[in-house]
Amino acid sequence: MSGVIDVSARIPDRLTFWQRLYLPEIFRGMAVTLRHLVLNVVNPRRMPTIQYPEQKRNYSARFRGKHILKTREDGTLKCVACYMCAQACPAECITIVAGEHPKIAYEKYPVVFDIDMMRCVFCGYCVDACPKDAIWMTRNYEMAFFTREEAVFSIDRLRESKAEIDAHGYGYRPYYPGDGTTPPTDASRLPVVAGSGERDALRQAGVALPNRHVGAGPLNATSQAAKFTA
Amino acid sequence: MTVATEPALSPAAERLRGRLAGTPLAGRCEVADRDLPTIEVSPDAWPSLARFLRDDPECRYDLFVDLFGVDNLRRPGQKSRFETVVHLHALARNEHVRVKIPLPDEKKPALPTASEVYPAADWFEREAFDLYGFDFTGHPNLRRILCHDAFVGHALRKDYAPGQRWFFAEEDMKAPEWATHTDERAGHFETQTISIGPSHPATHGIIHLIARLDGEKIIRAETNIGYLHRCFEKMSETHQWNQIVPYCDRLNYVSAMINGVGFVRTAEKMLGIEVPDRGRLVRTILSEFTRIMDHCVCIGANLVDIGALSNFIYLYQNRENIYDLIEACCGARLTVSYVRVGGLAIDVPDDFVPRCRSLLESIPLFLKDVQKLVDNNRIVRQRLQGTGVVTREQAIAWGLTGPMLRASGVPYDVRRARPYDFYDKFDWDVPISNEGDNFARYLVRIEEIRQSLKIIRQALDILPAKGAVSSDDWRVVLPPKDAVYHDMESLIYHFKLVMEGIRVPPGERYEWIEGGNGELGFHAVSDGRGGPYRLRVRPPCFANMQAFQKMVIGGTVSDAVATLGTLNIIAGELDR
Repeated sequence: MSGVIDVSARIPDRLTFWQRLYLPEIFRGMAVTLRHLVLNVVNPRRMPTIQYPEQKRNYSARFRGKHILKTREDGTLKCVACYMCAQACPAECITIVAGEHPKIAYEKYPVVFDIDMMRCVFCGYCVDACPKDAIWMTRNYEMAFFTREEAVFSIDRLRESKAEIDAHGYGYRPYYPGDGTTPPTDASRLPVVAGSGERDALRQAGVALPNRHVGAGPLNATSQAAKFTA
Repeated sequence: MTVATEPALSPAAERLRGRLAGTPLAGRCEVADRDLPTIEVSPDAWPSLARFLRDDPECRYDLFVDLFGVDNLRRPGQKSRFETVVHLHALARNEHVRVKIPLPDEKKPALPTASEVYPAADWFEREAFDLYGFDFTGHPNLRRILCHDAFVGHALRKDYAPGQRWFFAEEDMKAPEWATHTDERAGHFETQTISIGPSHPATHGIIHLIARLDGEKIIRAETNIGYLHRCFEKMSETHQWNQIVPYCDRLNYVSAMINGVGFVRTAEKMLGIEVPDRGRLVRTILSEFTRIMDHCVCIGANLVDIGALSNFIYLYQNRENIYDLIEACCGARLTVSYVRVGGLAIDVPDDFVPRCRSLLESIPLFLKDVQKLVDNNRIVRQRLQGTGVVTREQAIAWGLTGPMLRASGVPYDVRRARPYDFYDKFDWDVPISNEGDNFARYLVRIEEIRQSLKIIRQALDILPAKGAVSSDDWRVVLPPKDAVYHDMESLIYHFKLVMEGIRVPPGERYEWIEGGNGELGFHAVSDGRGGPYRLRVRPPCFANMQAFQKMVIGGTVSDAVATLGTLNIIAGELDR
């Protein structure tokens, strides 16, 4: 804690004769701007301007750009369509339709997984909410489109691709290398419990299997509003 | 049978009850002790209570902070459906008080205006009229302020259907009588009305100023706002506590971090949870950096308006460097979404401290350049000195806060008056000026940047090198990912938290901090569900902008432009 200082008392209220003459002060000001000019010409790396799009800003490894859906070793999506990202999303931009995966170990999978990039606010809450390490963000921020329909990214544009990661790199994610987190076990490497692991074959053999909840997610803008006003 | 005993009152509430006891108001209001001393009063006694609170030598609640409505339709057990809540502040004692005015008539909620006692209540009452339909009898200019003139209904009432659309055409615009009609008896001879804005380069956002000019002198003015209204408060009611953080970033988008900190502090106080020191210090450091950005943007834009471009570039380079730091911490530059209820989204990067220290080195260099260009420049002095003058009395009466109030000679800074986090441990000064003109506001902001640097330096010194940044209460904060992936109990906590939100105990609370341009307060009402029942943000811009139409009278149009720049109006916060 300390006191209060009067800033006006520290600076003379009236200008001196030389300052009122105006020209000396102009030259003093010119010296400041010229110094910046000369330094920038001598050392162009000092200039903060970035010549976009030829030159691009170097973002950190936490940058929140376009989302990707992570895949298992066999190429299927890690997502089990639990709707948690859709629920956590403050902009309500994620639409999921769940389906029953034929392989028991994978339980459910998203038949539809759409992110409306026009609604998305890139807050990263979906990444925080995912319990399966299935959704990450990249450093890709160039997502221009001509129509509103194009702005809704479906699975084929969200699925992780090597080309995209090579070009942009991973951004915001649930854990970073070296922070001590062990990712969840890849379901494609889990031992299959019975038979071939195919649900249909087991059902035909008379094994009672629970029906997974299948269908569209519980939430959209209208139903969420209704939940709080009911 | 137990006898209900009166709980002990805080000294402030005790004094209020004692002072009120001997007055005619005694039987008409009751004092309770909540998070703030709270006076409940009937609508008809409100103006006399307001006068008493302002004038009584032991009360002297002279600064009008906030006025808003609450609709208790879906919150049973309350006295009446509608109530008006007022917050006042006593500058001499640094105390807040809350006045609650339950409105008995549900069909036509009405209460007398307080704008004669507190001129600052003017716009706040218009807002409560607009969004809740409260009729403030005796109000001089009771019309809509945030919603447009063709709007039907009152949007923040709980039974308003939010899907409705109301279209606004040019003929719906209600211009004030004095602007459209020339009255020679009122001295309108050879005067003319002009509109500055809504889209005008000097308004930095969308603000409409209607001014009647005599020559180049403004003789009457009125501001229209609400062009950027996007129902922040209504949307908060349908979202979970943490989901509101990204919305908060878009209030004052120049200092996004401070808004988030202000909001989560309200929820944390209601929950009664503690954030670890490291988390609070990181919040403090980044808040001070965003305050520096806020002041850089304000000064830079203001100087551009009066024709000095280089300063803008030098000041914006600071902002650029600070944005780089913030992006490295949370992954976004402007809309940070970095804070969470209970802590931060993620720990700061390893090179956080050296990066902060290098910023502490570079920012003063640019400040020095700006001061060399500006301080003794005759043109700047002539444009800023003696224009937009606000006296100490006016500043208090108009409810100004932040650098505006301090430039008028009142050393009210929330960080000093009610130190939160670590502000009482740091050695720093509150810069003030007694001039109250635009130049004084420039000087105060420049000095505040230096004081913020001083605070950051001290905060870095005591920042623990390692440790948690978030609380470990998993009913509030998401468990670490490693636990969620491999531990069933953590997964359950994670699931409950994402799907249901944070269960904040029922009640209400007002928490306020020093925002970039004044007192930024969040009043939250919770009914125990995952999101707030009502969230009110006290925007510092709103009161500052209200004063603008009075500050410009008697000056020229170019003075009005210079004055608007020093107000630091951020439309995202003004219109919410």
